[in-house]
Amino acid sequence: MKRVIVTLAGKDKVGIIATVCNYFAENDINILDIKQTTVQEYINMMMIVDLEKCTKQFSEIVEGLNAVGRKVGCIMSAQHEEIFDMMHRV
Amino acid sequence: MVELNEVFETHTMIRNENLDVRTITMGISLLECCDSDLDVLCSNIYDKITESAKDLVRVGDEIGLDFGIPVINKRISVTPISLVGSSACRTSSDFSMIAETLEKAASKVGVNFIGGYSALVQKGMTAAEQMLIRSIPSALSRTEHVCSSVSLASTKTGIDMDAVKLMGTVIKETAEATKERDSIGCAKLVVFCNPSDDNPFMAGAFHGVTETDTVINVGVSGPGVVKRAISKVKGENFEVLCETIKKTSFKVTRVGQLVAKEASERLGVPFGIVDLSLAPTPAVGDSIADIIQEMGIEYVGAPGTTAALAILNDQVKKGGVMASSYVGGLSGAFIPVSEDRSMAYAAEIGALTLEKLEAMTCVCSVGLDMVPIPGDTSADTISGIIADEMAIGMVNQKTTAVRVIPVVGKKVGDTAEFGGLLGSSPIMPVSIYGCKEFIDRGGRIPAPIHSFKN
Repeated sequence: MKRVIVTLAGKDKVGIIATVCNYFAENDINILDIKQTTVQEYINMMMIVDLEKCTKQFSEIVEGLNAVGRKVGCIMSAQHEEIFDMMHRV
Repeated sequence: MVELNEVFETHTMIRNENLDVRTITMGISLLECCDSDLDVLCSNIYDKITESAKDLVRVGDEIGLDFGIPVINKRISVTPISLVGSSACRTSSDFSMIAETLEKAASKVGVNFIGGYSALVQKGMTAAEQMLIRSIPSALSRTEHVCSSVSLASTKTGIDMDAVKLMGTVIKETAEATKERDSIGCAKLVVFCNPSDDNPFMAGAFHGVTETDTVINVGVSGPGVVKRAISKVKGENFEVLCETIKKTSFKVTRVGQLVAKEASERLGVPFGIVDLSLAPTPAVGDSIADIIQEMGIEYVGAPGTTAALAILNDQVKKGGVMASSYVGGLSGAFIPVSEDRSMAYAAEIGALTLEKLEAMTCVCSVGLDMVPIPGDTSADTISGIIADEMAIGMVNQKTTAVRVIPVVGKKVGDTAEFGGLLGSSPIMPVSIYGCKEFIDRGGRIPAPIHSFKN
């Protein structure tokens, strides 16, 4: 399993999660977990996804997510999970 | 399972507080390159470096992308060239040829800096070491990426005052040789007491002879993260302050540990150490002075500064040591004047003086760093400044260093501009009183008594 944390932050509107999920489906990326909060009209979302079956390079996925982010007017990022485990777990 | 708030905390550190991995430095031993023929030696050095480090920059960038953390610098440190070149070099210009070879190799593999144009002369200089030292001004003015360091003292051996005297002259000559660019050559030249063999930071990095063939050392950074954390405990007592720094330092260092292990694995090179140093840059918010000021000091240099810096240095170590399996290098807080915007400002308004900086070096890592001084400062005075700093390191069993820049043609009131990460700073005043007779004595200052523990 190649677990990657994808985040999204920006102004909420209809269809953000649908657009992101479509991108994952198109690239054979499995979603393992989704967490989100909305405060007033802003959305903060985090997804844990599995890139095991994805054939694209990680740099292409990052680029692709940036494009998705621009489309829905949010900032997106993708990082391997280890950096969060290392930083926040002893 | 990772939580939402943890993910966004990490993001804030990286995006808003300038958390980054300052450097992945590959240490490369050049001992096997030794040959009595200079051309063969240079070709061996070029081949060894370009082969060992061919993937360093690519892997550094890939790791940065995978973990979403900027890896700012990719660098190389090599075995002190005075040792590698001793059997082939007959003149100072022979050594300069090795510097040019290092430059070519660094350009080929695309690293920011290559360190190790160095000599370790804390007890005495061989003929080759003298030649290397005398070649420094020409080597640094003819290269862009080569960094030079000279070890002049240690707790075990005392201070080599002949070398201290020589370095005063060499620093002046290096300034003169690069005068059209605010004497920038001196920014790539540092003198040490008790240097460490595995320091990943420039200008002082070299690959010590006690090290293995190739090794990966990583330097983290994150003054902005520490400052932000401290701002949340304004007015709280020292216990709370110290705990806050410690916890933050732990998190910052964990990133370094992750990157170091990953780089070591992907390059197939052993992991050496993580250096815990907090290193500033001229960017807004990436400042050690800001941390000290956030603790409650009006401007860095005001009374209380040394105590504040001592707290910072110690807590960074305490938090960082547990976060990494191997800690080494200089590990502390750097206080380079020109590279730290708020430090330079404090110097400009007169809050920070050379004498206060010297006191601060007693409790932090390294020492008088990136301090521009008037271009007409005499070589003897520079040697005197070096001797003082070496004495602090020798007696306190710590690493100290001097990287001063006598900016040719500039005086107090002017500003030196070095550009990029080296920053800019007002010229700091130096005492007008001399020490020529002291420096002219020659010889060695004996080791202090506490070196005879064993």
